[in-house]
This record gives sequence, structure tokens and C-alpha cells, in this order.
Amino acid sequence: MAQSIPDPKMKVDRISLLFKQVMALSEISLAIEDGEIVSIIGPNGAGKSSLLNCLNGFYKPQAGDIYFEDKRITHLSCHKIARMGIGRTFQGIQAFLGMSVLDNILVGRHTHMKTNFFQDFLYWIWSIKEEVSHRDVAEDILDFLEMAPMRDAIVGDIGYGLRKRVDLGRALAMDPRILLMDEPLAGMNMEEKEDMARFILDIKEFRKIPIVIVEHDMEVVMDISDRVIALDWGRVISEGKPGEVRKDSKVISAYLGEAEQ
Amino acid sequence: MEMEKSIFQTREANFPDLEAKTIPGLLQVRVKQFGGRTFFRQKHKGVWQRFTYDQVYACVKKFALGLAKLGLQSGQTVAISGENAKELFWAEYGVLALGGKTVCLYPDMLPSEIKYILQHSEASFFVAEDQEQVDKILAIRDELPLIQKIIYWDSKGMWQYDDPMLMNFTELLEVGQGFARENPEFFETSIEKVTKDDIAVISYTSGTTGLPKGVILTHANLLDNAYRVAMSVEMKPSSQYLSYISPAWGTEQICGITLGLVVPFELNFPEKPETVLENIRELGAEILVFGPRQWESLVSMVQAHMLDAGPVRRTIYAIGMKVGKEVARERTEGQKINPIWKVVFPLADVIVLKAIRDNLGLKKAYVTVSGGTAMSPDIFRFFHAIGVKLRNLYGTTETGVLTQHLGNYFAPETMGKWFRSHPDFGPPLEWKLKESGELLARGGAGFAGYYRNPEMTNEKLEDGWFSTGDAVTMKENGELVFLDRVSDLRRLSDGHMFPPQFIETRLRFSPYIRDAIALGDASKPFVSALINIDFDNVSRWAERQSITYATLPDLSQKREVIQLIAGAVAHVNQLLETKSQIECFVNLPKELDPDEAELTRTRKLRREFIEDRYKGLIKAIYEGEKEFCFEVQIKYRDGRSGCVKNTTQINSCRNQEA
Repeated sequence: MAQSIPDPKMKVDRISLLFKQVMALSEISLAIEDGEIVSIIGPNGAGKSSLLNCLNGFYKPQAGDIYFEDKRITHLSCHKIARMGIGRTFQGIQAFLGMSVLDNILVGRHTHMKTNFFQDFLYWIWSIKEEVSHRDVAEDILDFLEMAPMRDAIVGDIGYGLRKRVDLGRALAMDPRILLMDEPLAGMNMEEKEDMARFILDIKEFRKIPIVIVEHDMEVVMDISDRVIALDWGRVISEGKPGEVRKDSKVISAYLGEAEQ
Repeated sequence: MEMEKSIFQTREANFPDLEAKTIPGLLQVRVKQFGGRTFFRQKHKGVWQRFTYDQVYACVKKFALGLAKLGLQSGQTVAISGENAKELFWAEYGVLALGGKTVCLYPDMLPSEIKYILQHSEASFFVAEDQEQVDKILAIRDELPLIQKIIYWDSKGMWQYDDPMLMNFTELLEVGQGFARENPEFFETSIEKVTKDDIAVISYTSGTTGLPKGVILTHANLLDNAYRVAMSVEMKPSSQYLSYISPAWGTEQICGITLGLVVPFELNFPEKPETVLENIRELGAEILVFGPRQWESLVSMVQAHMLDAGPVRRTIYAIGMKVGKEVARERTEGQKINPIWKVVFPLADVIVLKAIRDNLGLKKAYVTVSGGTAMSPDIFRFFHAIGVKLRNLYGTTETGVLTQHLGNYFAPETMGKWFRSHPDFGPPLEWKLKESGELLARGGAGFAGYYRNPEMTNEKLEDGWFSTGDAVTMKENGELVFLDRVSDLRRLSDGHMFPPQFIETRLRFSPYIRDAIALGDASKPFVSALINIDFDNVSRWAERQSITYATLPDLSQKREVIQLIAGAVAHVNQLLETKSQIECFVNLPKELDPDEAELTRTRKLRREFIEDRYKGLIKAIYEGEKEFCFEVQIKYRDGRSGCVKNTTQINSCRNQEA
């Protein structure tokens, strides 16, 4: 049955994830179509980040399978999954604080670097050529994220909202065919959120790749998502268009009944 | 009764031969001369890219022919909106080559302003930088039936637009290339047809009253202005020029677009407005023309950095600047200075001044100009102290550039001496002052009028003399001092007009004066001033002079302090006509305070309130009293109020001089 995979870009087939006795995810299934923005919402501890971590191979589900472009990736290591074109950004700041914005983005190109240590040591034609081509891609990303003027700024010196942009830039540098974003708006002010939401929409339009977002800011989620999936206690409790999920009584009680207030 | 003077100008003076009569003509001459040399430079993906004269010419040609193919006729208008960039310059040169007119817009203009200008200038094409500019024009397109095509050069964010009116810049260049294959001679013949009196640019000036006026700049106007500058300041060909001020302002039309071809410059375009400082430094820019505000921001940047520095570095900085300022005084105030400063200068230069120049990217800058309004002498002196010979430039869009600091003397309060105009463009520059102090000017290529507004043109022109609307005085050495807009002048009881804001601002330039109010109106026969001394600086000065004092009211009335302030007043009086000079001044025994509504929160004077509050004192001044005893209610920060009772000296400046 695992061999007969239908159309979706990424498919999750009844995965379960256990931390000792704690059931983080139980029999979750979902499908992500090409070019859509899917948001995963839910109260704290619902299993949102665990799900994202399964998708890019940080966690290995004990049961079930994950497919990306018809390939089973459940048990691949995360660097192999990254090479296949699954990009992700992280909760908080995971950029190299001591490096420049440009270098941080170039780091994201590592999955595409082909020359070896000895070639680079000699820095001959092939290395120079490769460096120029990667810089070219990195500059496009800087321009896209409106960070070109600060390419040489040290990431540790720039503001939080901009650091999150660097994180996104690094994920884009991989040329991902799907982008997973873990709380891209956390800790941002209104203006930074608006910018980031705009970038997310632009990525969808320009790169035409699906984007999976885990996010708490309901307003933005409902605004930019094509589809919303609500989790609670490791299960999908609701799924559908933003308007439908917002009205779902199960979602309302999950939020109001337990997490908040 | 009008004073009349003419600038001494004769044919014998060394005037260069003009190489072309139009801007595209001059472009052709330069391309033939320098073909493979660098002309433009702009960053692409973080790396400076060079464009030779040949490449620039090819792009200009393709752009022009593309527009020709789309239907641009000679004499039609093309509007350009965006930050300074190579495409903007190509577009302008291209339009001029076809005999078209260009209108440049500030990139931050609102759609309503753009609409008025495009309708008034009858623009038929719109060249935009990016999505932002395109969005603005699309919003008002229905009201602009003449617009045939919108061309944009930055396609970021444009991928979801499929409006048939939009066209990418590179796409247009391809159209132009196709047209060139069919009509190989078209471009060159069009350039030949352009004459010097054709309108090149319509420069819209922000109307303080009513709608903006479109000033016509012909090819002759632009070249005349560029030659005025080029003939008076020596500039090496291929100097690095950073194009930053917007071509929507006439100054950049003269300096970047035209002077760039006359000298010629290597024209560099900043990557983004916010990277200008970085870019200046990377380029080692040699020629910079900024507005006063941009120069000020450089100074405040240095000062902010120094506030963060440790005490040792701050001290070294202070000493270095002191030496720099002393040495610069010879240049700026024309005083002989103690030779000791010159001996220590090389050391200060190496340790402090050179480093500042380097960090600001001004190490190689040898022509630095502040255009537009008068600039604060403090800022001016700062640059001279670090060894950057900043020059003030004065002019109006209508008459072009008129005066600039020339030679090696740079008085901070003046706008410099008169330019010479090349005789091939017209008669020599002349000026005269009206009774009101308003400057009238004529000469050179002359004012060509406001576009589609003959009434306004006639209003401003009187027998060929253009009324600038600026009140100025001329110093005996031929330097122009800008006072105020004539509309801001106030009238004394005998009808004489004096510039209150000029007096107040100049008084504040003294480190010992915090605020000043110039008094004088139709009920008063002469000008006087209320002065709020700068307590910090005056008290420090008093300590050095071993003057004992108790409080501000006491300090302000000390004989020595009055003399100190009288000196500052006398300095300002030197810049004024006799009738406008301050005859009397009073050191206020208290600070003007926003808490008492004497100032706004942004420290602007609330003139009427002050005049009412101190009306007893003011009456005493004009009744010729020697002193005045007054009580002022004051409010303390904690809400209590009290009363200050004080005897205040009324000081006559006439006596001080005698």
C-alpha cells in the first residue's frame, strides 16, 4: 500500500510519536498539495512542533509513514531529507550570530555545494565559479527579503525581526521544494509580522512551493493560510478553510477550555 | 530707488569653447572621446558594475528607439519616478535625444501630486522604478488618458501584474534594438534635430502657496548652469560623483545629468538610499552635492559615535577637533591665526581628523557642496575643521545657480560669490536689490518661464529681471548673504523690512545664546532682541573669567556677560543692513520654558505669548529706558508657582560700539 502514492507533494500517513509514555502524535494523517499555505494550530503541547520535526526527520515516528514527492522519507536522516528539498526555519533564533547576514545565507547553500576541500583549498576555477554562482543566489534572496543593504551586518547586531528574516533566507537558500516554518512570527512586533506575512505570501507566489506553518498568531494564520489544521493532544481535531476551522466548536473548546484562561 | 550693480565680466576672460549645444549632442561628443572608459557605476547583487560610455550610449539609444517605436514624438513629455539609478539616467538622456521633455518626480510623492504634475505636463509615458511607483500610477491611470505605456526597471514583485499597459525596461530595450535594425540612422538624426532652446526638463517646484509650478529648463539653461559651476571650480575629468539628490530637484539636473557630461564625471549610483554612507566610502567619492540636511546627518552620526566612545578617545577627539577648528578659522572667518596651531595641525590631522574623514568616506572628496537653503554654521565649521572644504551654493530653479563659495575663502554665513555665465549662452549675470531687500537676477540663458503658465511667468519677470522672492544682502567683498524669504520679513514703523528669523537663527549660532526673539513690527521704529543666555556655557565661561555669580538672573545681568552677548549681537549686526540691525537687547533673567508655554515642546518660540508676557519690558525698551524692574510668575516642575522679581538692564548696541 505504501507504494501507491497519489498526487500530494507531501503526505503523512497515520504517524504516531511516543516520548516514553507520552503520546505526542497519534495516528496523524495529512496531505499537503503543491503551492498551498497550510497552517498547523493548536494549544501549547498539542504536538505542532513535534509534527514539524517528524516532517523534516528530527524525530522518527514509531508508526506510520511520511512521503515526499512519492518517496518514503520516514527513516531518512535529516540531512538527507534537507538535500531532497525540504527547507525549514526554527522557533527562536538559530542563525550564526557571529557571522554576517550574507554568510548565514550562504550556509544554506551547503546542500548545493559540490567542490571538495582540496579544490576549495586551491581556490581554482571550479571553486571560484561555484562561489560566484552561490553568491548570485544568495544576493537574489537578500534582495527578495529586502536585506541587500545590510548584507555585511553581523547577525548578532541586528534586531530580532531581521534575524528571523535571516533564518528564512537561509532556508530559502536551499532552494526548497517545500518550506516548513516553526513559529515564524513569534516575538515580533506588528510591523515585523506584516512584513513576514508578506514575504510568506511572496514565496508562495514567486516560488510556487507549499509552505507549512506552525503559528500561534491566529489573526495572521487566518489571513494568509489556504488551509488550517488544528491539533490537540496529538490528534487532528479540525481541518479545512480558515473560516471553517475558526468556527469549529472543537477548536474553540480546545483553546478556551484548556490552554488559555 | 533701486541699487544696481553688475558683475564684472568681460569677453577676455578665459571662457572654454562649448563642445555641443544640447545635452544629447554633448553625450555624443563624450562617447566619441572616451568610448571605453567608465561612465556609470552601480551595484548589482552587492558588486559594483561598470558601464563604459559606449555601453551607456547603446542603452540610451535602445531606450530612446524603444520609445520612438511605441510612439513618442519630439516635444512630448516623459515622466520618470524613482531613486537615482542608471536606468533613470538612460531614460532621461534617451528622451532628450528624441527631442522630448522629461519630468522627474520624487519617489515619495503622493498619487494626487503625481496626477497634477502628469496632467499639467501632458506626460505620455511613465517610467517607474518598481512596484511601489507602478502601483501609484495604476491607481490614477484612469484620469490620465494621455499615458500610453508604463515602463518599470525593477521587476521585483511585478510577477503577478499582467496589465497590458506595463512594460519591463529590458523588454523596451529589445523593442528599441529591433527598431534600430530597421532605422539605423534614426537616433543620430533625432539628436541633430534637437536645438538648444528646446525644453529639456520641466522641474516642478513645491508651491508653498497653491499648486506646484513647472519651471522650464531648456538645454541651454542646463548647460549654462553646468558651465557656471565648471568654470569656477576646477574639477578633474572622471572624478567620482555620487548621484544621490533626486533629479526632481533642479540641482541634480544641473550637477548629475548635465555637469556629469560637461566635466565629465564617473556617475555612481547608491545601492539603496540607506546605503549612501557606505557607498560614498567604498567609492572614495570626490564630488558630492547634498542638501544641508544630509550634511547635518553626517555630523550627528559622528557626534553620536563619539558619545559612545570612552573618555580617553573623547578627549583625543576634542583636542583634534579644537586644532582643526582653529586652523579652519583662517579659511572660514578670514582671520590670521596663531602659527602654533599650524605646527600641531599635522599631528591632529593624522590622529583624529583624517580618521573622521576616512570613516565618513570623505577622504578623497575635493568638491563638496551644500545646495538649497542656508546651512547652520556649526555644521559648516565642523566639515572645515576635519579638512573638508564644504561650499554653500545658492540659486533658484528659475534662474539656475547664482552664487557659491569660490576660491579659498568660505565664510559660513554667506552663500559665496557670483558665478560667471558663459557668454555663448547670453548676457552676463546681473543682480539688483529691490527696496524690500528682494534679490532680482538676470543674465545667462535666462528664465524660460513656467510651463503653461504665462500669467505667473509675467508676474515674476520684470523687464527681464526675475524676482527670486529671497531677501538677501550683499557684503562689500561681493558675497551674498541669504536672509529670508521676502514673505517672512517683517515691517518696522518706518516701512523698512527686516528678517526676524534670520536674526534669531544667527544669534543662536553663538554658543552663549540659547534662544532669541527679534522684536520689531509696525509699531516699533527699530529692531531689538530678547535673549535667553545659554546658562551652561555662560556659567562655564564665567568660571574661567573668575566672575562670581549666584543664579541665572544674577549671571545674566553681569557687566561682563552683557559685553559677551553684545559681541555676539555685533557679529550678527555685521551681516545686516544698518536699518535691520539690532539696536537694543535684553538678557532675560530666566530661561524660556515650554512648561510656561513660552516655547512649544519642540522648542519653537511662541512669539505672541512671549510678547504679551514681557510687554512691560518691551515697552520700556522702546521708551528708551536704561533698566526695567519686572516680576514674572513662574511655575516650578512640582506644580508650585513663584514670582521672580528682577532688575534687568536694557543694553543699547550703539553705545557698545562707541
